[in-house]
Amino acid sequence: MLDVFSILHSNWELLLIGQYPNGPMGGLVNTLILSALALVIAFPLSILLAMARISPFRALRYPAFVWVYVLRGIPLLLVIFWTYFLVPVLIGHNISAFATMLCTLVIYQSAYLSEIVRGGIQALPHGQYEAARALGMGYWRAMGWVILPQALYNALPSMISQFVSIIKETTLGYIINMQELTFSANQVNNQLLTKPFQVYFILAVTYFCICYSLTRLAGAVEKRIERKRKGEHGGSAVAKAPVELASTDLSR
Amino acid sequence: MKPMITFSNIDKWYGEYRALTTINAEISKGEVVVVCGPSGSGKSTLIRTVNRLEGIQGGQILFEGHDIHGTDANVNRLRSRIGFVFQSFNLFPHLSVLDNITLSPTKVKGLKGAAAKKHAMELLDRVGMAHKAGAYPGQLSGGQQQRVAIARALAMEPPVMLFDEPTSALDPEMVGEVLSVMRGLAKEGMTMMCVTHEMNFAREVADTIWFMDAGQILEKATPEVFFTQPAHPRAQRFISDLRSH
Amino acid sequence: MIKDFDLGPILTGEYATLMLQGAELTLKLMLFAWLLAMSLAFLLVVVRLTGNKFAERLVAGYVAYHRNVPTLVQLMLWYFGVPTLLPESVQLWLANYSTEFIFAVIALGLCQAAYFCEDLRAGLRAIPDGQTEAARALGLGYVRSMRYVILPQGIRNSLPSLINHTVLLFKNTSLAMAIGVVELTYATREVENYTFRTFESYSVATVGYLVFSLLLMGIGALIARRFELARAR
Repeated sequence: MLDVFSILHSNWELLLIGQYPNGPMGGLVNTLILSALALVIAFPLSILLAMARISPFRALRYPAFVWVYVLRGIPLLLVIFWTYFLVPVLIGHNISAFATMLCTLVIYQSAYLSEIVRGGIQALPHGQYEAARALGMGYWRAMGWVILPQALYNALPSMISQFVSIIKETTLGYIINMQELTFSANQVNNQLLTKPFQVYFILAVTYFCICYSLTRLAGAVEKRIERKRKGEHGGSAVAKAPVELASTDLSR
Repeated sequence: MKPMITFSNIDKWYGEYRALTTINAEISKGEVVVVCGPSGSGKSTLIRTVNRLEGIQGGQILFEGHDIHGTDANVNRLRSRIGFVFQSFNLFPHLSVLDNITLSPTKVKGLKGAAAKKHAMELLDRVGMAHKAGAYPGQLSGGQQQRVAIARALAMEPPVMLFDEPTSALDPEMVGEVLSVMRGLAKEGMTMMCVTHEMNFAREVADTIWFMDAGQILEKATPEVFFTQPAHPRAQRFISDLRSH
Repeated sequence: MIKDFDLGPILTGEYATLMLQGAELTLKLMLFAWLLAMSLAFLLVVVRLTGNKFAERLVAGYVAYHRNVPTLVQLMLWYFGVPTLLPESVQLWLANYSTEFIFAVIALGLCQAAYFCEDLRAGLRAIPDGQTEAARALGLGYVRSMRYVILPQGIRNSLPSLINHTVLLFKNTSLAMAIGVVELTYATREVENYTFRTFESYSVATVGYLVFSLLLMGIGALIARRFELARAR
């Protein structure tokens, strides 16, 4: 087991940044870049989707509902294969594995994030919206200045958890040969051949450290929000996704 | 005749805070004791030590001659002879009203199903809830739930009933129905210890009133004496506060 | 692509058999993993209930590991890594069998047990203290209180989360394709490779997964409503 350290020592570059600068960026850095990009792009989309889900117009509500439920009902892997197949057909040329994963994660996560945002909006006392309208704000102003800021702040811990989920989901990039951490670990294993347990152990520990710290961060943020909110008006506590939700790897 | 419950030099601490100080008291068979006093006086703590829901650090509580807090006490057996009614009812929401009442007699006393059911229906009739035997607690009002809770406590046929602020969590219009059940029990000669704020009830039904403040029993008197000429100055202030309402 | 959409080759003959076999393996994998996960979760909860500090930390560590390491990595660690830890003779014996399925069941089951354990724990935590007090005041000892009052309520409270995570387990079976288990997703890829009918084969698989997921969610909702505890007013 002690060879864990020697393996790390000789392969840390491959695991951290893949073949860069002699090739595309890979490894852990690529994993984190992919995760961050996916979250940043999926986030505004999820807000729109959440608003569609609770919109008074059936033409918006029904398709949004179907979209979210379909994405909740099929495995992420299948969505990856669909994206891998459909996007080149739609835009006329092939796309890289990174782009495929990015598109997939954005689509998949916007559905889950939208449920969290929706939960956050619906957890606010209805009086908030009424008060905003009573002050003369229209629907969009009320949403933008009163409802969403509060809902999103309350949903912050759940968002951090979803970020953890995204990081875990990037591992599926390995199956379509995307250069992320798991792929790099496999490359190391294929070179060494005789120490698979040590290599995968390193892989597991790396993910554990990152995800666990983020989960703890989410917990700390949640406590801080609870304290602030309880002090103010003992009202809306931290927003969690409605119970019917199952993310891919729900870490709360 | 030996008293049913004896408190000897009871002391209790929550960490640094002294909750009960040198409590000495007795409850005889058939006696109805009402414990009253300002909030935080230790009334609930005291009644909860009787069936060991709370522990004690000093002294001894004897129930029918048995030391409840002794290391070799058969707590479950002793508890099955003490009926306890909670402020928040604590009915079991996953069981019907009837099952709530028959649970303990069948599992602890080993009563057969049919006999337990018959007894339960009699008790429900007594508290005026026979028509709701098949209902679930979530479908009942507070007053109804508390009456079922009383029937559940009575199902073990205990010689003594303890009531911990039984009406404090009820809306005002439901307090009466619970108090009348308790009044009925007292008339039938049940030994009772009640912690309550319902002073009219105390005046009517109690044999003895214990006035508590800051973890001590400051005065023990009959209702006639307590409500007209209490001896202890703190009790006098309590009574005059009551009158000024 | 749309105009020559033809489900024929997929739904008949050898390719249909492939897909069906894949579906069957998916369901088998899920069933065994679920059983393993549930039994282990109950065990973990019981261990947690003993109140032993060391045991608590152990269970907490188990849960933290399985929730923070990606499921795919757990699968790989079990399938590629663990066999090399076993003695030579056992490894040689194992080589005679296709061990992908067993390791997939173990990996998925152990991972899911962590989620189920937390669900049960949350369900138990949601029970008001007064319930235990009332049960004890009636003379029911620890075991009887647990059996007739606490556990029934705890399980009812956990049902929505348990059902959620069961659907999650079902979707996670697709990950087993990475270690060579020929479940539905793997079979779909094979059929696609042979027939080049990507759209059709993916659609069939999608419908298959969707129907079963929705079925699970629907059954779950029914069970939850049947056992829903009407809260006291």
